[in-house]
Amino acid sequence: MTDLIQSLVDGVALGSLYALAALGIGLVFGVMRLINFAYGEVITAAAYTLLLTKDLNVGLRILLAVAVAVALSLVMEFVFRPLRVATPATMLITTFAVSFLLQNVAVLWFGTQGESIGFLSDLNRAFEIGGIRIRWITLVSILVGGAFLAAIAYLLDRTDIGLQMRAAASDFTTARLLGVRATRVIIFAFILSGVLAAVVAMMLAVQRPLATPTFGFFVVIPALVGVVVGGLDRLLSATIGGFVIGFATVMLSDLLPSQSRVFLNSVLFGLVIVVLLVKPNGLFLRGAATAERL
Amino acid sequence: MIRRFRFLALFAALALIAAACGGDDSSDTTAAPSATTTTAAPATTTTAGGSTDTTAAPTDTTPIIIGAAVDLSQNMAPFNTPANRAAEIMVERINDAGGVLGGRPLELRTLDATVEPDVVKATAIDLIDQGAEILMVTCDFDFAFPAIQEAIQANILTVAPCIGTDAMGPNNLGEEGRIAFSFGDQAQDEGAVLAEFARDQGWETAVVVKNNLLIYFQDVVDAFAVRFEEAGGTVVATEEFTGFDGTIGSVVTAVANEEKDVIAISSGFDDLPAFVFGLRALGDDTPIVCSWACDGTFWYQEGEPLNEFYYNTKVSLFGDDPNQDVQDFLAELTARGGPPATAAWLGGAQAVQAIAEAIEATGGTDAAAMAAYLEGFDNKSLIMGEVTLNADNHTVFGRPHRIMQVTDSMPAFLELRTATSPADIR
Repeated sequence: MTDLIQSLVDGVALGSLYALAALGIGLVFGVMRLINFAYGEVITAAAYTLLLTKDLNVGLRILLAVAVAVALSLVMEFVFRPLRVATPATMLITTFAVSFLLQNVAVLWFGTQGESIGFLSDLNRAFEIGGIRIRWITLVSILVGGAFLAAIAYLLDRTDIGLQMRAAASDFTTARLLGVRATRVIIFAFILSGVLAAVVAMMLAVQRPLATPTFGFFVVIPALVGVVVGGLDRLLSATIGGFVIGFATVMLSDLLPSQSRVFLNSVLFGLVIVVLLVKPNGLFLRGAATAERL
Repeated sequence: MIRRFRFLALFAALALIAAACGGDDSSDTTAAPSATTTTAAPATTTTAGGSTDTTAAPTDTTPIIIGAAVDLSQNMAPFNTPANRAAEIMVERINDAGGVLGGRPLELRTLDATVEPDVVKATAIDLIDQGAEILMVTCDFDFAFPAIQEAIQANILTVAPCIGTDAMGPNNLGEEGRIAFSFGDQAQDEGAVLAEFARDQGWETAVVVKNNLLIYFQDVVDAFAVRFEEAGGTVVATEEFTGFDGTIGSVVTAVANEEKDVIAISSGFDDLPAFVFGLRALGDDTPIVCSWACDGTFWYQEGEPLNEFYYNTKVSLFGDDPNQDVQDFLAELTARGGPPATAAWLGGAQAVQAIAEAIEATGGTDAAAMAAYLEGFDNKSLIMGEVTLNADNHTVFGRPHRIMQVTDSMPAFLELRTATSPADIR
């Protein structure tokens, strides 16, 4: 029983991390229909910022990591702007290209070996309740993830910019005709996703402290899968999808016999295929794709 | 149109930034890509002692080209860059001493093969076309394979400085693979030496942590488990994961929950510090033994003193290696391009040394003859110690490993240890 609860705790920890990444991806998809494969490189940029500022105090490091992630997000928005009227396939391939370009820039600048980030490592310690070890970073991930989701939900429901984002997400052309400043809305979505990328980088840096050119890449892949599994058309469903992928990864890892864990990804993605065959619009969406995507 | 121009301009700018900022030649981790470098002494007529004799009869001073199709810019660059630098130094030393075959200099001609299969293959072909008579390849069998294939087809000796699996040679490549060798330490030997060390510490029970990302990682811990139990210990649990699959956190908690005397792991990249420091963060101070994969301190977490951590390696990088020749070589290597991050470099020096001896012994670069000579290495004394190869084992075994002990995040040489034999895991 203790082992099962421990697995649940570990699953929640990974799920929270993927959920945050899924939230950042879902925000941009909502307003622009763009699946940003290069989101992982925004996370990587924030991680390298934490690495390069390791001599500064924590507060300043956090601020700089957020600033760099937001700046890179804005550069991406600038690059992707001409693609707003392009086909989804064109947009996706472009984000692939940007992703690989930025990864190679990181290889040239920093090499492939990696370097320890050294960021809030105390949060990786655990406290124990009834034989269950809970890392502080798990709690922080849940709290931060929940807080961001709540704040973004409030922003979308109760603020002018949120209303405009929803309008742009619903029908970009009509929203523009009605006076919504679409570019401003999209820029705002990219800024928010940049902030989230920095948060993901910080959570990850505590648990996996080596900055490498693929630091964010291996988080974004499962998060992207989670977004699709959960349902691309709603931010909440996409976020929950991200959580589910992380949670399922850990649970499957524990359920599989040790010698079969090499097949973990095969089993996981097999399940993903089954889910998408049964619920092609996503696990947490009802019926056909909805018009409103936020 | 303006938008399109802006888009293209930004991409061009990013590409230029990447090109402008890359290629710090002095670093082991960021070598200049796709550059051809050549290291050879001037082709003069020299005596065996190295002094120039202008009155001697003319001899063949044509350089013997050793092609190096190795990754200097991607995943394997941290290993291959210092190995190649060490190979260059060894080529210079041999040439300074008169070259081979009575005065022929060696020439190391290097091309960055990256790890992209098409580039690896094209680079190997290019070097062979340029006259390479021996081919050195990247330190990972899968990445090196396209180059190995080309060398085999061209019937030239192919040597890896530090592939750690037993994939080189006829057991894996068939009879044609008899001309393929690696001067890395065999994983079965590393696992065996760690297990024998662990048992000698009196550790009775072990948890084995297996990263399925690389065959090398798998083979080391499989060898540890086999030899640990052969030596009377008990493996109480095996925890498996595949690098980057995101489950390292749950592996850490599973290992922490086991009763054990020692933990054996062979891993790298992001998951290594996540495991080691994650385990310590949970208050688990059980001794950890690791293979050469754990060499170097670049992955240590600042502010988190690492203790009770042991690993085997080729040589100590920390000024306390028991072999003075190694220390001198390391000093020269460091003076030329900064300190290497791991001991991978030694394989490059050792490979060139072995190649030169094989050329001398066989009177040329005939691949089959050189292979037969190398298969006869039985405790052959090279710069890193005694090396053994044979018809079944084309990757080095039986070498004295340096056991390193990490105290307060500072590795120090603890002892020299040779495995009684490689563990049988096949």
